[in-house]
Amino acid sequence: MEIWSALSRAKRGFRDDLRLHVVAIASLVVAFLCLGTALLSVENLTRIASRWSQTQHMTVYLRDQAKEADVAQLRLVLESLGEISKVEHISAVRARELFAEQTNMSSADLAQLPTDAFPASLELDLADGVPSARIEKIAARVQRFAGVEEVETYRSFFGQLRSLIDAGRSGALLLSLLVVVCVLAVIGNTIRLAVANRRREIEVLKLCGATDSFVRGPFVLEGVIQAVTASTLAMLLLFVAYAALHGHVESTLTALTGVRTVFLNPLTVLGTIAAAAFVGAIGSALSLRRYLQV
Amino acid sequence: MANPGSGRKGNVVRPSVFRGKHRDDAPKPILVMEEVYKYFRRDVPTLRNVNLTVERGEFVFVTGPSGSGKSTLLQLVYRQHTVDSGRILFSGRDVSRLTDSSIPFLRRNLGIVFQDFKVVPHWTVYENVAVSLEILGTNARLARSRVAEALERVGLAGRGNERTETLSGGEQQRVAIARAIVTEPALLLADEPTGNLDPQLAIDILTLFEEIHEAGTTVLFATHDHSLLATSPHRLVVIDDGRLIEASQGLRAWSARMQSLGASHAS
Repeated sequence: MEIWSALSRAKRGFRDDLRLHVVAIASLVVAFLCLGTALLSVENLTRIASRWSQTQHMTVYLRDQAKEADVAQLRLVLESLGEISKVEHISAVRARELFAEQTNMSSADLAQLPTDAFPASLELDLADGVPSARIEKIAARVQRFAGVEEVETYRSFFGQLRSLIDAGRSGALLLSLLVVVCVLAVIGNTIRLAVANRRREIEVLKLCGATDSFVRGPFVLEGVIQAVTASTLAMLLLFVAYAALHGHVESTLTALTGVRTVFLNPLTVLGTIAAAAFVGAIGSALSLRRYLQV
Repeated sequence: MANPGSGRKGNVVRPSVFRGKHRDDAPKPILVMEEVYKYFRRDVPTLRNVNLTVERGEFVFVTGPSGSGKSTLLQLVYRQHTVDSGRILFSGRDVSRLTDSSIPFLRRNLGIVFQDFKVVPHWTVYENVAVSLEILGTNARLARSRVAEALERVGLAGRGNERTETLSGGEQQRVAIARAIVTEPALLLADEPTGNLDPQLAIDILTLFEEIHEAGTTVLFATHDHSLLATSPHRLVVIDDGRLIEASQGLRAWSARMQSLGASHAS
């Protein structure tokens, strides 16, 4: 019964202070749009990192003067390891050809590059699920073989990418906190203004015997409705923007990263809206405390 | 008539609940004030040693000059303020000892009418009256019939859909009275309810209170308007300089009493 009464009074509150609530919702939409964009970026960066970190690859660069017997022995050893699924020998000439294919560089320009820029190598594909520690151990052992110049495990690259994503996550977290503060401030101030406009109403309710929770109910609901409406609108706008841009940039991004971009996970969207509702309720309840003494 | 709060007994404190330890068949006074003091400034009591007993079904005028403490007396009853010493028993229960969370349940047993009406101007007449029932959790159908009945009693039948701000002052006060009586309170407190009205409207409003009283409601009516007191035969108490003086029936006796008090002060 009390919830219906609160809903009906909240509806009356929206009717009486419509402009105030519309302005508040518009401000909140901007805040949630910023948060949604940050979450979308982090979600896609995480996918890229996850995809790339699963690409288990290792390159063994060979010395220019490496003997064929040493290379053959090394290859035999590597092929006998269970963690390595494929070994391919790339000669210095082939490496130069591959580079030319990938970069469309003219043969004249290519000829100007130093000969040692393209060392011969063994390209290793690793089996799925090989732990990083094991990869590092294999790399250290391979490094000791005669004819081996350097072993590249790409761990440092993945480490840098991981750092970038961690920084993105921290940024999103900070932005989330900023949005929480923003939501609390906007909803708190809106409710304070609504309370000021409806001070007579609160006084009448208290003098007629309304409890604090009865008085508080519609204001808390108004805060929740504002936050839910704003966050839902922000998510819809973000989806529309994502859908509009997706067609234009998807092929380029996929080519660059090897990963298809995705919109926010439905759980993330629902979680954002639920968190917004919670913060809206808290913001309203906090802003009302001092006005209930009649 | 059905109790409007019957569906929510746990939340509604009816006067019977306030009876105290000694229950017997003899009717208890609805309101008792014993040696009540109230200070807003440390050295000057607004109310000093006030003793007052109001029996069930009585109509009592509280009068006195502006600033004498009439409103404070009423505010102590509905716990806008708390006594500094003494006690106020409403149906046997000391209201000054109620916790903050119990005050709403005290107020649900009181009807309060104010000089400035305290209606919500942008609400309809219906919404302003029904709010008391909404607080009690009365269902919508019962509320509609109770509000219609209350509006009929105050002479506003059929005007429930009008916005309250479009009504005249006298009509707005009638809305406030309807809101106060719609829950059938044990005690109706009126704090200068005619203070903002012209003399003819004031008499109309007093007549309305008398009709409500005749229906069985106890009324405590604070006013400084002597013209109202002159036309009414009800019990009269006077507050002057924070002290309450029991006048006998009617203004004439009170005037005589005031004159004799003046003479004794002069001697």
